[in-house]
Amino acid sequence: MALSPSQKPPPPPPTLPGFEHVRRSWNETYQSYAARILPGEYYVTRHDEGVYTTLGSCISACIRDTVLGIGGMNHFMLPATESSEADAWKASSQNSATRYGNYAMEHLINEIMRNGGKRENLEVKVFGGGRILQNMTDVGQRNIEFVRDYLKTEGLRVASEDVGEIYPRMVVYFPTTGRVRVKRLRSLHNNTIVTQETSYINALKTKPITGDVELF
Amino acid sequence: MANSASDLVKDISGLVTLPDVYLRINQLIENPSSSTEDIAKVVSRDPSFTVRLLRVANSALYGRSSTIDTVPRAVTMIGTQQIRSLALSMSVANSFAGLPNELVSMENFWRHSLLCALASRHLAEEARRCDPEALFTAGLLHDIGELVIFNRMPEQAKEALLIVLDSQDEVPVYEAERQAMGFDHSEVGGELARLWKLPPLLEDCIAHHHDIANAKRFPRETALVHIANIIALMAELDTLNPEDVSPIDPRAWEVTGLTEESVEPAVRQAQEEIIEAEKLFLNEQ
Repeated sequence: MALSPSQKPPPPPPTLPGFEHVRRSWNETYQSYAARILPGEYYVTRHDEGVYTTLGSCISACIRDTVLGIGGMNHFMLPATESSEADAWKASSQNSATRYGNYAMEHLINEIMRNGGKRENLEVKVFGGGRILQNMTDVGQRNIEFVRDYLKTEGLRVASEDVGEIYPRMVVYFPTTGRVRVKRLRSLHNNTIVTQETSYINALKTKPITGDVELF
Repeated sequence: MANSASDLVKDISGLVTLPDVYLRINQLIENPSSSTEDIAKVVSRDPSFTVRLLRVANSALYGRSSTIDTVPRAVTMIGTQQIRSLALSMSVANSFAGLPNELVSMENFWRHSLLCALASRHLAEEARRCDPEALFTAGLLHDIGELVIFNRMPEQAKEALLIVLDSQDEVPVYEAERQAMGFDHSEVGGELARLWKLPPLLEDCIAHHHDIANAKRFPRETALVHIANIIALMAELDTLNPEDVSPIDPRAWEVTGLTEESVEPAVRQAQEEIIEAEKLFLNEQ
């Protein structure tokens, strides 16, 4: 942040209720604020600011109402299921893994609607689901398929996506314009990102899904 | 800050040692009365190194038209200085086996280092009037300071990486390290090069690959490694867009006599050579 003393950034725009504690910082390149979300979080804004996150195997849906310019981003992952069957997670809606996914998507979409968004005006972009660990199961792929399935069921079209492959991604999304900057990150960051995602997954195991929770 | 870069290096001096074969070859080369036969004898006494050296000498990476099947022939055809560089390059990854860390996998670390080595060598051949083999070694070693930091100061190293991620990947790693611990990996690498009494060319390239204006003894070679580092990132991320990686210091082009036109072919060549290079240089990992 190399601003000369006379050039202080403007104050950040107001947040929607419930998002006051999300960390926001001024970004010189974009000349706007950017709100950072971590695994399990989501953020919606009606102002000209960005939302960003770092994705390893996790998936992120960036959704906005194209007419009002209100929108945001979520960041989640389906936890591992008991069975090792690739299609087990599709089996039933009772499955606890998909419930987390459903909550992540519903919370984001409902927040947009609550602020005046309309389903027919929603534009969706999907990112993440990479394969950055050399383990057996491709959890990233599961996350990608979940989101595609969910959107199809909801009748929402995917306007663009950048998913899969072996790179972690930095994603910065601007709901007012729909513009996205996706940057592949070097492998130096893999372990840090995996650690963040693992903490999140472990937290999910201990957290029951009840009611209206902001962190899933 | 409790530690300085030189304190850190003193801490690990017992944990990482230079490969024996390099030390012996180096001793011979420093002695003006040694012959190529002496050097060939030293190499031959290490059978596993001999096998690996001949494999490297005959690989596609070195593009030779005739087969090199004996050590004396290798020493004559490759050159004694280059044999010394190769001895270091081929064994240094093993030297760091005693310095594990949880922040980066050795596979990912050495892959980036190898990509930089390959790009450095390629650029050296293009720039001319410098030793491509020495540049390969410089590129391979440029980030060894990271391994020291990740092992000795894991909390601050992690903090540095988080600073990078929290800045939307706009703060470079070395700057985040300076914020988190007061020095960066190139300074630490430079201290290690001094401790190991590595040739000054290697020391300069390692210590100043992020601040090339301060490479007083080997500015051209250091600038080549600086450019090669960025090329290595482009090769890793499979991109030719300069905005996807850190910017190249414009002075590097002036000092080396190369231009941005060198970037794309260097990226492609590094991508083509990396698989073979990993087999040849890291197969003991």
